[in-house]
Amino acid sequence: MRTAHPTRPEPQVADGAPLLALRDVQVAYGGIHALKGVSLEVGKGEIVAMIGANGAGKTTTLKSIARLLPLAAGSITFAGQDLGRLDTESVVTAGISLVPEGRAIFPNLTVRENLEIGAYGHRDRRAMGETIDDVVQLFPRLGERMKQEGGTLSGGEQQMLAIGRALMARPSLLLLDEPSLGIAPRLVQDIFAAVGRIAESGTTILLVEQNTRLALAASSRAYVLRTGEIAKHGPSAELARDPEIRAAYLGG
Amino acid sequence: MTPGPRVSPAARRLLLAAGVFGPAVLLEVGLDRFVADSSVRQLVMTAAINVMIAASLNVINGMAGQFSIGHAGFVGLGAYAAAIVASHLHLALGGGDPTFAHSLVVVPAAVAAGAAVASLAGVLVGLPSLRLKGDYLAIVTLGFAEMFRLVLTSVPLDAKSGVAGAIAKLGGQIGYSGASGQGVPLYAGPLWVFGAASLIVVATWRIKFSGWGRALRALREDEIAASAVGVDPTRYKVTSFVIAAFGAGVAGALSAIMRDGIGIVQPDQFDFRLSFDAITMVILGGSGSITGAVVGALFVTFTVKLIELAQGLDAVRLFQSEHAWLDLNALRMVLYASVLIALMIRRPEGLFGEREPLFARKPRGAAPAGAA
Repeated sequence: MRTAHPTRPEPQVADGAPLLALRDVQVAYGGIHALKGVSLEVGKGEIVAMIGANGAGKTTTLKSIARLLPLAAGSITFAGQDLGRLDTESVVTAGISLVPEGRAIFPNLTVRENLEIGAYGHRDRRAMGETIDDVVQLFPRLGERMKQEGGTLSGGEQQMLAIGRALMARPSLLLLDEPSLGIAPRLVQDIFAAVGRIAESGTTILLVEQNTRLALAASSRAYVLRTGEIAKHGPSAELARDPEIRAAYLGG
Repeated sequence: MTPGPRVSPAARRLLLAAGVFGPAVLLEVGLDRFVADSSVRQLVMTAAINVMIAASLNVINGMAGQFSIGHAGFVGLGAYAAAIVASHLHLALGGGDPTFAHSLVVVPAAVAAGAAVASLAGVLVGLPSLRLKGDYLAIVTLGFAEMFRLVLTSVPLDAKSGVAGAIAKLGGQIGYSGASGQGVPLYAGPLWVFGAASLIVVATWRIKFSGWGRALRALREDEIAASAVGVDPTRYKVTSFVIAAFGAGVAGALSAIMRDGIGIVQPDQFDFRLSFDAITMVILGGSGSITGAVVGALFVTFTVKLIELAQGLDAVRLFQSEHAWLDLNALRMVLYASVLIALMIRRPEGLFGEREPLFARKPRGAAPAGAA
């Protein structure tokens, strides 16, 4: 995967400073306080996981980073830039791409059109062609289905397409929301292998995953969310041994 | 790569342009000469106007996935604006019979006025589309079209001053027949009508396959996902309304001033039935398909005319006089509904779906390494 983009400078982070930092982020939907003050950090090149039960606020956290939800309080900084001031379009061009939950691809657009629209923020035809090549190398199945409509793909292929579409912007930070949801186990393996390769090429990943075992195996650090707050965080290997986590999320 | 005759891109463009706009020129020269029956000429030009109406509505209802049932409002605004501009210009140019030379001035001015007024209304109607979806938006669009019509019909005709006076000059229910009351001057010959129809079809085609159109269609499919890749829903939704209103305004303008037209603009020409017909054209052909919009427009235009001709038959008249309770105009709606229902059962996506069967689309961007 090529990660540098001709139309976007590489985000510069000082040594030891996080690429992405959330400080006491609060989000409210109507009367419901979905996030009650989430603080987390993601370092450059890391794979960080967020785990937790349904409704803990994992998806809300990702959406607030992508500026799809208004912040009630707190701040989000990316490479020193305050994301609170940006709209979604600028967040994408700044180098953050979200793979939404439930593989929200465009069912009546062809696979190629789905990918092309991922490059929406950067109008650079040559870079777009190169990135399509990279995505096809990562997911050869997509290459065979370029002219098919997105809706005709299998669930796993649609997830690949959703990830490929997000990669089209050559993000520095990839936000993955439940990539294993409702997908055949064999394809889940393929997808997580691809996530590993994306990370190796230098892309930072923040992963939300219900499958706690998978999430902890794929990540180096993890945050546990509970009812809108960070309940625990630490190296994934340690959390996997934590008796409380084992009892709550790993089935004992 | 498909083998084929080697034609330079410039020559291809020229050929394409000749293919698209040539018929308009030919019709300008030939229509009056070879078609003696003015009602047939009127029908053919009305078909072209309906093509514009359907192609522009297709931008909202097909590509953007919004549901507008008030397209007649934009058409009507365009018609009134053009009729006013054309008749005043006509007087300024000295009156008399409309000449081709004068049409070079009058038609562009009238069409520009119609398109501008309709586009402005497009912004106003487009803004609520940011907060409303589906049925609720549809009601707003219908409300807009009916407001336009009812304001015109309900103004007291003896009003002399202010806004009411200005609207009263438009003739209320009876209609607007030019500044002098002698009828709206009919300047737009086949060249203008068919030329504009071709232009609008080509323009919507370019929109559909541009990055802009792709973003619009993506927004239709999944708003969250589209925002996640950076597509701004606000800008696209409002702009799609403006584009569609612009096209409808051009169509309305030309319908008001087209040669062989009726020379009067009446509010009831733009009631919900026109909106309904426009939706029928789009859905029948296939929502999102430009080929479909064109075929749908032609189908609806000529079917309506056939039913009207059938209504004029002696046998039907006799039948009608014996069964006075039977409203044959309402039966037209029943027939439409039946066609639509049958089609929705057989082909829920319309005749063409979203495809453009006559034209293979060239892929854009570099070919991927692994693609077949």
